[in-house]
Amino acid sequence: MSKLFSKSANQLPLQILIYLSVVAGIATAGVSYYMTPKYTRVGYAPVQPVPFSHAKHVQEVGLDCRYCHSHVDKSAHSNVPTSQTCMNCHSILKTNSPLLTPVRESYAQGTPVPWVWIHQTPDYAYFNHAAHVNKGISCVECHGKVNEMEIVTHMQPLSMAFCLECHRDPASRIRDPKDVYNLDSARLADQGEAGRKAAEAFAHDWKLLPPQSCSGCHR
Amino acid sequence: MKRKIDHPAPPVAEALTGPKYWRSLGELAGTPGFRAQLEREFPEGAAELEGVDRRGFMKLMAASFALGGAGLAGCRRPEKFILPYGKSVEGVIPGLPSYYATAMPLRQGAIPLLAETHQGRPTKLEGNPTYAPHGGAASLLAQASVLDLYDPDRARAHTRGGKALSATEVATLLGEIAAKYAATDGAGLALLADESSSPTRSRLVKELRAKLPRALWSEYEPVTDQPPVAAAQAVFGQAVRPLPDFAKARRILSIDADFLQAEAGSLASARGFAQGRRVDRKEDPMNRLYVVESGMSLTGSMADHRLRLASSQMTAFTASLVIAVYPESASVLEPLTQGVKLDPKWIQACVEDLQAHRGAAVVVAGSHLPAEVHAMVHGLNSILGAAGATVSYLPVESTPGATSLSALAAAIKGGVVKTLVILGGNPAYNAPADLDWAALQRSVGEVIRWSTHLDETSGVNAAATTHLAAAHYLESWGDARTVDGTVVPVQPMIQPLFGGLTQIEVLARLAGQTEADPYQLVASTVTGLAGAGADPARVMERFLHDGVLAASAYRPVTVRFNASRAQSLLTAVRPAAAPAKDNLEVRFVVDPKVDDGRFANNGWLQECPDPITKIAWDNAILISPRLARDLKIDPKGSLIQVARKETAEFRMGKESARVFELSLGGRTISGPVHIQPGLANYTVIVPLGYGRTAAGHVGNGAGFNAYPLRTTGAMHVGLGAKLRDSGKRLLLANTQEHWSMEGRDIIREANFEPAAKPDGNSYRENPGYVRKVGMESHTPSNLGAVGEKMTPQERATKIPRGNSLYETPQFDGHHQWGMSIDLNTCIGCNACVVACQAENNIPIVGKDQVMRGREMHWIRLDRYYSSGTIDAEAFGGEGNRELPEDPQVSLQPMTCVHCELAPCEVVCPVNATVHDEEGINTMAYNRCIGTRYCANNCPYKVRRFNFFDWNQRRLDSLYLGPAGDYGMPALLQMAKNPEVTVRMRGVMEKCTYCVQRVQNGKIRHKVKMAQAGRPGDVVVPDGTIKVACEQTCPVGAIVFGNILDKDSSVSRAKAREQDYAVLGYLNVRPRTTYSGKLRNPNPRMPDFQPLPFSRVEYSRKNEPAAHDDHGAHGHGAEPATPSHGGKS
Repeated sequence: MSKLFSKSANQLPLQILIYLSVVAGIATAGVSYYMTPKYTRVGYAPVQPVPFSHAKHVQEVGLDCRYCHSHVDKSAHSNVPTSQTCMNCHSILKTNSPLLTPVRESYAQGTPVPWVWIHQTPDYAYFNHAAHVNKGISCVECHGKVNEMEIVTHMQPLSMAFCLECHRDPASRIRDPKDVYNLDSARLADQGEAGRKAAEAFAHDWKLLPPQSCSGCHR
Repeated sequence: MKRKIDHPAPPVAEALTGPKYWRSLGELAGTPGFRAQLEREFPEGAAELEGVDRRGFMKLMAASFALGGAGLAGCRRPEKFILPYGKSVEGVIPGLPSYYATAMPLRQGAIPLLAETHQGRPTKLEGNPTYAPHGGAASLLAQASVLDLYDPDRARAHTRGGKALSATEVATLLGEIAAKYAATDGAGLALLADESSSPTRSRLVKELRAKLPRALWSEYEPVTDQPPVAAAQAVFGQAVRPLPDFAKARRILSIDADFLQAEAGSLASARGFAQGRRVDRKEDPMNRLYVVESGMSLTGSMADHRLRLASSQMTAFTASLVIAVYPESASVLEPLTQGVKLDPKWIQACVEDLQAHRGAAVVVAGSHLPAEVHAMVHGLNSILGAAGATVSYLPVESTPGATSLSALAAAIKGGVVKTLVILGGNPAYNAPADLDWAALQRSVGEVIRWSTHLDETSGVNAAATTHLAAAHYLESWGDARTVDGTVVPVQPMIQPLFGGLTQIEVLARLAGQTEADPYQLVASTVTGLAGAGADPARVMERFLHDGVLAASAYRPVTVRFNASRAQSLLTAVRPAAAPAKDNLEVRFVVDPKVDDGRFANNGWLQECPDPITKIAWDNAILISPRLARDLKIDPKGSLIQVARKETAEFRMGKESARVFELSLGGRTISGPVHIQPGLANYTVIVPLGYGRTAAGHVGNGAGFNAYPLRTTGAMHVGLGAKLRDSGKRLLLANTQEHWSMEGRDIIREANFEPAAKPDGNSYRENPGYVRKVGMESHTPSNLGAVGEKMTPQERATKIPRGNSLYETPQFDGHHQWGMSIDLNTCIGCNACVVACQAENNIPIVGKDQVMRGREMHWIRLDRYYSSGTIDAEAFGGEGNRELPEDPQVSLQPMTCVHCELAPCEVVCPVNATVHDEEGINTMAYNRCIGTRYCANNCPYKVRRFNFFDWNQRRLDSLYLGPAGDYGMPALLQMAKNPEVTVRMRGVMEKCTYCVQRVQNGKIRHKVKMAQAGRPGDVVVPDGTIKVACEQTCPVGAIVFGNILDKDSSVSRAKAREQDYAVLGYLNVRPRTTYSGKLRNPNPRMPDFQPLPFSRVEYSRKNEPAAHDDHGAHGHGAEPATPSHGGKS
């Protein structure tokens, strides 16, 4: 057989093995980096039918999140405002702005404005806004500082690992309930020793026990 | 890749002209601006991350995707849109369901309901708890009716000769007819409608008849579910009908009356019956039910004493009963009892029992029985003191001047009818065969048909028929009365999907009204009923909010039984000849699922197995085992009790039924024969409502049509029928071909009261009898006395399963969920099965797949027969080869019992089924890879596998695979519950304890408490979370709740001494436990059994030595307890 295979061929199985494991390793690393929400979703900032600036409406006008995203503290969904909500102000302000044409048309005809859905969870995952905002979890935890965004961008991966990180240690993420809609506030746990104590007390007194099993989110 | 249900984007033209079910993207997809936007998904630069941009990466990876068989389309999550309302809708909060009171009208009795709507889309119906007699329960039909709303086969437009008519054209047309016949006082106009309890309809009919006095108004219902008024009129001199109150009755005798299912008001009856049946402690009383019947009904299955008797002999039976109660009547009634052999001891003992409970006994008779039986029953109830106590008599409101179908037929034959308006019904399908309705209808010049479907009647002379699309009741304004007369609203949940009209609109227009707004029509009736002085706006507001009109129930009237009038009625009656092999009695029964055929196109109902025969998608000619022997049908295989000696009759779960021809009075139909234990020997039961030819995709061709056998003279019972073997075979989808428990301890039963010679076996003597049955009685307890008292968490950690490597779940949640099912009150009505289907988006699979055992119902309603004849050698002796003629029936809803140490979990290779903190055995569908190991390892066999993509594929093209059509009709998508994942192919599923209701209930409570300043109050109060089966259960047999709370209703139910775990010896520690079944036989009856048959079989199997005789019955000397050492 030595005629056919040189001595170096003895190394071949090992080389193939090493080669394959390196390729497999790269593929695994590639898939888990490039194909997970951390990569595919974060940074997603689609063009919306109306160039709505959250920064302007929150920082200049001073709107609270709940003015438009009504019933977020009652419902599973955080309501995306109806065109009527927009028209509350825009029937007086910027009534002729061409950028607002879709809103005016929508209000006049009753057809929806097709806002592109950014923060999507898979449809087998059932996220409930009310359960979170009423328990000291601020909007900013998942959505980032929307109050500073000109264009809304996907900030967090919203993957299962992301959810579980918090569900395993809610005390490190909670805010004082009155700071929930204040996107510039700090987490209790980031407010020094006293804050950490307050967070512990919060978790204890409110009997925080976020579900960590499938049934919490999957139905 | 998880398949998503996207609303299909129809072409622009269709979106503009076609029906808009939903605000669909298709409307927008056509606009150029939108297209441009779609193409530029990301703002420039937004998608580029350092080095590799996403698109570049995708290009690089394309080869490996191709290798993996995945298309590039699957690589990016599809772009989705949020489409908020243009104008805000009052009261609608996206993500939260709204509930509205409405009612399902059905013949004379409506079922008050609450409809759950998600942004204007009704998805689920529940009973309206404001209506006390139902206590929030809904029936099988009501649960399934939401699917009818979304039936793709509904008539989509008003048509005339196949050409669509607009709403204005219809209004003009009806106006023209009104004007034309106003000139002739209505002569030439005839209207045919089905029965209705609607006060508005009744008012409009009165108006119509006042305007057009010579118009014919006829009402026709193919089946009757209320006792004939004629009998009451004869004996009381008043038009009344009886309304029994079963809650007050201690002793009940039912004469061929299936009051738990087929009779009007069955929900209230079942609930009342269960109140008298439920036993929590041994001091509680329990009612006793005597049933005399020809078929095997659910009521019969609950009977403590059951007598099989042909329906045509019920007159003789009732007469004998009256003679026993009131011997003075013998001279009149004696002739009626001629030729019928009845056991006088049976009647005597029964009568004595009824008389001993004067004022607390009630006799009911089936609506189909002749007037003389009802007359005698009215007399019996008067003598037994039932009238006014357990039976009240309500005045009957009937449409004045309404004629029968026969009278209408005569008028048509006479050529009097020029225009025929058929409102609902389906006479071409279900009119008596001797009328030859189709020909009559064809002979009428102008036919206007109002109906939801283009059915048999619409198709009689389609070219000349004007068809008006009818609105479903969930799209209609209307009103109705419940069986006790309470007026309930019918409220629309959604705009008519196909522009359908309501019946009252049509009537109003025919009565000459030009503005026919159904809401106004109803409002004026209701405010009229509420009486003068009430603020009309307030009355309507309250009426629609509560779902009942306060104090609108009929006031019971006092009646006096007039014996001499009864005598004149009864002397005219001649006894019928006894049925025999060559003179069979045919009894036409209303089907529990498709009713008279009107629900035939409802897939949920078609797939739901019949509660007794367990046949889905078909009806069958039911014959008794005796008749089967006479006809030389040898039921082989598991059709008898031997499970493992299958030969021919059942192959792979398919019942190979012989097709017989049944002829009666010169008319013949053919259908498959199913041998049904418990029938009167020579009575043939034929369920109506099948064999539709124009029902739609689901109902067409299911079963055989029995209507061609019915004639005006024999609408319910016919004598003189013959059966002839056609030599053909038909496969039936029978979901439970094996009907014996084989002496196992699955359902544990005991008699309620001790026998004359107490033997310690009865419930009163030994309330904990369930622990003396089954493996647990032979072995030490799994948990021991200490373990029984531990919390689930302590138990899981301190008493682990034997030698398991797996960690036991941590039951450290705030709640621990559990369920208790009371087998003593369960009547097997199947409402839970379909309620579960509606709540949990359970698909239907079609007959072919049911035959392969692939039905998807999460709740299986097991039905067992026991006759006490099982042999020790379970598969050998003669006792196993006999079909029981007088079996006892035991029913058991079986679903995932949420074992604390679940065998399914340890075999799942991907952890798709695991426990949560609160004791729910969860299913993560997105993890499941479909190995089906869990189903194999489930001792209860309650896991269901999606063998095909039932939701996305048409049931008739499942085997085409990817070549078949893909996608769910938009209409059916609307019926889905948005709170539950729609499962795809290859995924296992099972009962989740309605985890969506549990989670939403918990969240709602926590949110409420947090906002009320009591955030630490996280434990949900008992009763706020109701699972779907529990909520709809008419008898309250199912209780769900937190078992950590000792005062919760589920804890109290589980604390009953008769509570046991099915297969408890496996140490799987199920969270769902069952309360043992009790029977309450009368020790003085000749057919008294000291032990329920299932217990007899249990001890015969486990102690063969004590049973040398293989005789049929007579197991008087049962050992007190099964001891060790048997062949167990």
